[in-house]
Amino acid sequence: MPTLPVNIGSYLVNLCSALLLLTCFAIVAQRRLMACVDLFALQSGFLAVTATLVAYLTGIHHIYLAAILTIAIKAIILPRILKKIVRQLNVQREVSMYVNIPTGLLICGGLVILAFFITQPIVHLGFLLTQDSLAIALAIVLIGFFIMVSRQKAVTQVIGFLVMENGLFLAATAAAYGMPLMVELGIFFDVLVAGLIVGIYTHQIQETFGSVDTSRMKALKE
Amino acid sequence: MIWPIILLIATPFLIGVSGLVVRHRQTLDVLHCVQAGIMVVSSILLVDEVSLSGPVSFLYFLHVDAISAWFDLVIGIVAGTGTLYAVGYVGEQYDRGHMSLKRFRQFFMFFDLYLGVMLLAVNVENLGMMWIAIEGATLSAALLIGFERNKGGLEAGWKFVILSSVGIALALFGTILVYYSSEQLLGITEEALHWAKLYEVGDQLDPSVMKIAFIFILVGYGTKAGLVPMHTWLPDAHGEAPTPVSAMLSANMLTMAIYAILRFKILTDQAVGPDFTGTLLLGFGFFSVALSSIVLLLQEDFKRLLAYSSIEHIGIALIGFGLGGLGVFGGLWHLLNHALAKSAAFYGAGLVLITHEHKFIARVPGLLREHPVAGVALFVAGLVLAGMPPFGLFVSEITIAANAMNTTPSIAYGFLAVLTLAFATLLFQILRMVLGVPMETATSTVGPRCRAFSTAAIAVNLGALIFLGLHVPAGLHDLIGAILPFFHAEGEYF
Repeated sequence: MPTLPVNIGSYLVNLCSALLLLTCFAIVAQRRLMACVDLFALQSGFLAVTATLVAYLTGIHHIYLAAILTIAIKAIILPRILKKIVRQLNVQREVSMYVNIPTGLLICGGLVILAFFITQPIVHLGFLLTQDSLAIALAIVLIGFFIMVSRQKAVTQVIGFLVMENGLFLAATAAAYGMPLMVELGIFFDVLVAGLIVGIYTHQIQETFGSVDTSRMKALKE
Repeated sequence: MIWPIILLIATPFLIGVSGLVVRHRQTLDVLHCVQAGIMVVSSILLVDEVSLSGPVSFLYFLHVDAISAWFDLVIGIVAGTGTLYAVGYVGEQYDRGHMSLKRFRQFFMFFDLYLGVMLLAVNVENLGMMWIAIEGATLSAALLIGFERNKGGLEAGWKFVILSSVGIALALFGTILVYYSSEQLLGITEEALHWAKLYEVGDQLDPSVMKIAFIFILVGYGTKAGLVPMHTWLPDAHGEAPTPVSAMLSANMLTMAIYAILRFKILTDQAVGPDFTGTLLLGFGFFSVALSSIVLLLQEDFKRLLAYSSIEHIGIALIGFGLGGLGVFGGLWHLLNHALAKSAAFYGAGLVLITHEHKFIARVPGLLREHPVAGVALFVAGLVLAGMPPFGLFVSEITIAANAMNTTPSIAYGFLAVLTLAFATLLFQILRMVLGVPMETATSTVGPRCRAFSTAAIAVNLGALIFLGLHVPAGLHDLIGAILPFFHAEGEYF
């Protein structure tokens, strides 16, 4: 049971959520693929710390398990798979993007404001400890979405998806004190399988098209 | 009696796993024929069971009420004939040497898994588990769409993976918001995610949370249902996937996504009243029908043509659900008949693709003469999809239009206008293919095995369509009667 006063706990949870958000911005500003993968692993680390804090402060034990799985799957296994893919590719940096970096950062700033605006009418329902995390979680989901649509390389699009997943997990842990255990395990399993499947796809796209630049795949349209 | 539900869900998983050990093509064929039979029979038995004696529960996570039973019927029958067709179609690829035995076995493992998770999704009680099953369907579909590993397949598959993942992530956010709201009432337990429990306390859920949650759910699962403007993956995936997979995407996966949206619609309506969700569904439905009815005319590829027709029909069903009242009956009846007709049309289209090795509408006139099985499938299914009487889609479209006329005539005018347009454009394209004189000789003919299996699959689908057009079984009538109260709808149907 918690030994920390609730308001200090709440500050700590907010601090960790803010760090998660900060790594999102770092990913948006990063062109090197390897560094993007590292930043994603770092973000997953912060996520695990947030989950551990929530578990400790609330005494809900199965959140510890979720934190351990986050470290194992999102901070270790998936980054390894992604790095292996990046090494096999002939490209290390993303030169052209649909949106350039300064504009991208500005848009992400806008997304954060939008997230706070959307969640403003409903945060008062939440638990005192983690009230502000819901808005931050939504902001992370939206920025992940933005990364997916603004980048051209298959690998960075995948990182965008995983960032979205991190945002969702933050929402589930921080705002709702974790989904039921079975559901949480299922979600982890799905994310892992999704990682493997996009790995297979990037490999085949590289072999068939000679590049992982998805802007080359535009045969199918009206 | 719980065995129909157990058989329905367990069969595809067990037979899918058996693909790991079974190494004979013959044995796999027999196993999948058995699977097709079990799926069709057990989904019909399940409907009987639920309509006679109410909801069935099994273990702690399966709960089949009238809504689930309805979608079990839609997905179960089409999954059965789809399995038969896949045995013929993929077997033909194998016989021609386009596919190794290893790939042949892999295909059926993914295919069975795909059918299994879709059936699971409409029967689980926990909405988090439902999300997991739907994500499972997304992932197995991703493997199937790019299965042939050609450029088109990979591009379509990648687009599908990316768009569906975004959609499914948004849907999970919506699910988390529902839980966020419900755990204030039910406590931090698994029950706070159970349909039956949620429907008991639905009117006490916070309205603003439910509104935001429903928007996320609608956009998220709507991406999987192919609603305009989130539909861009759909024509590509349906066009490039192996044909049995296209048929299952269109008939089953879109239907499953609508199921998920309906479950949340019922809950949201309890909290905020029916106008909010109704307007949203009407809007998305209208855009889908309007856009696809025009784009149908521009298509040169017959699989993409059928794909756009799916967008249109899902839009029509959504308009029905959005209107409420007897529109709900119209939507349900529409989904069932659309699934049967669209899969039959894809079965026919697949045969044309195998024999001609291209997908141009303009180059395959005279199919009724040249390839009677494919020609009849496309012709009859085309008439059904265009909405000709006496088939089921005519009944549902008329019901929706009449219902709109009674409540808000302006919607009825708009609906009938886009419907007429879609009728003309679809029928024009289909008739171009089936009538006339053959233009080119087919590059090959299908083997006897493929012909037998695909004829059987087409015959079952067309037979069911004609049967449902002429006569409505008592079990289905009662089942719809049990579903309507969920939507606070009443009235005389049929």
